[in-house]
Amino acid sequence: MRIILALATVSLGVLLAAAPLQAHHSFSATYDGNKPITLRGTIVKMGWQNPHAHLYVDVKNADGKVVTWEVESAGPTALMKQGLRKEDFVGAEVIIKGFLAKDGTPTVNASSFTLVDAKKEFVSDEKTP
Amino acid sequence: MQRLTIALSVALTLGAQTVAFAQGRPDFSGTWRISQSKSSRNVIGNTPDIQFPSQLEVKQTATDISVVATSVRQRPLSATYKLDGSKVDVQTPEGITETGQAMLNGANLVITSRRSFSSPAGDVVVDFKEVWTANGSELTVEKTRTQVGDTPSTQKAVYDKF
Repeated sequence: MRIILALATVSLGVLLAAAPLQAHHSFSATYDGNKPITLRGTIVKMGWQNPHAHLYVDVKNADGKVVTWEVESAGPTALMKQGLRKEDFVGAEVIIKGFLAKDGTPTVNASSFTLVDAKKEFVSDEKTP
Repeated sequence: MQRLTIALSVALTLGAQTVAFAQGRPDFSGTWRISQSKSSRNVIGNTPDIQFPSQLEVKQTATDISVVATSVRQRPLSATYKLDGSKVDVQTPEGITETGQAMLNGANLVITSRRSFSSPAGDVVVDFKEVWTANGSELTVEKTRTQVGDTPSTQKAVYDKF
């Protein structure tokens, strides 16, 4: 009984430890540094949450097909420090510089993004002044 | 006596040429590891502007330079460049194709390359230009990344000899 209880406790601990890891993963684990990409599109949705804000951006391919990309960016605090507000986003045209996800999905880690109309560039957490 | 003089003259001339060659030609051979403290904030950490390998293994001969670039949890890239600037294929992970060329330019090594891969946005072509400068146990790499339809961006990383 004690062994079962101990195993259950360890398993629960592992599960609890894994949850924040999934939310705050390293760049190298999820993204391919060999695949830099620049995208231009329109923000259709904003996920304003920690540890990373997520933009959802419609990007038109060369063949005219629109694909919605998920863009992991800096955290809300870092973005707010740079003068950005949640309501600045939706409908805005944006240029994103970043790296493709390893799994081939339309997901990108943004090292920076620029709101075209505002002509203002926003950078990732670590580069925040 | 005359033969000895000629032999000595030839030996001295060849020796002097070898020394001049060795002095004038930069050597990038060695294992180099990126210095977090000396490199720009924009090339290290979780969201680099331009990805720099965390380690470079370089072997240089009179005609070639081979480079193996590795990073943590990233697939390595390697190439043996001819120093005459002729184009070679870079050994890349599956799904990426790349050609590159290298030339010595004074104290610098200049590597230019073109990388292609597919993405959900279509095919992507990115051009890179790297300028290497070695100074004793320190290697500085200035890298420019250009994608069609985008403004080029340039960053610098510093490596220490390991």
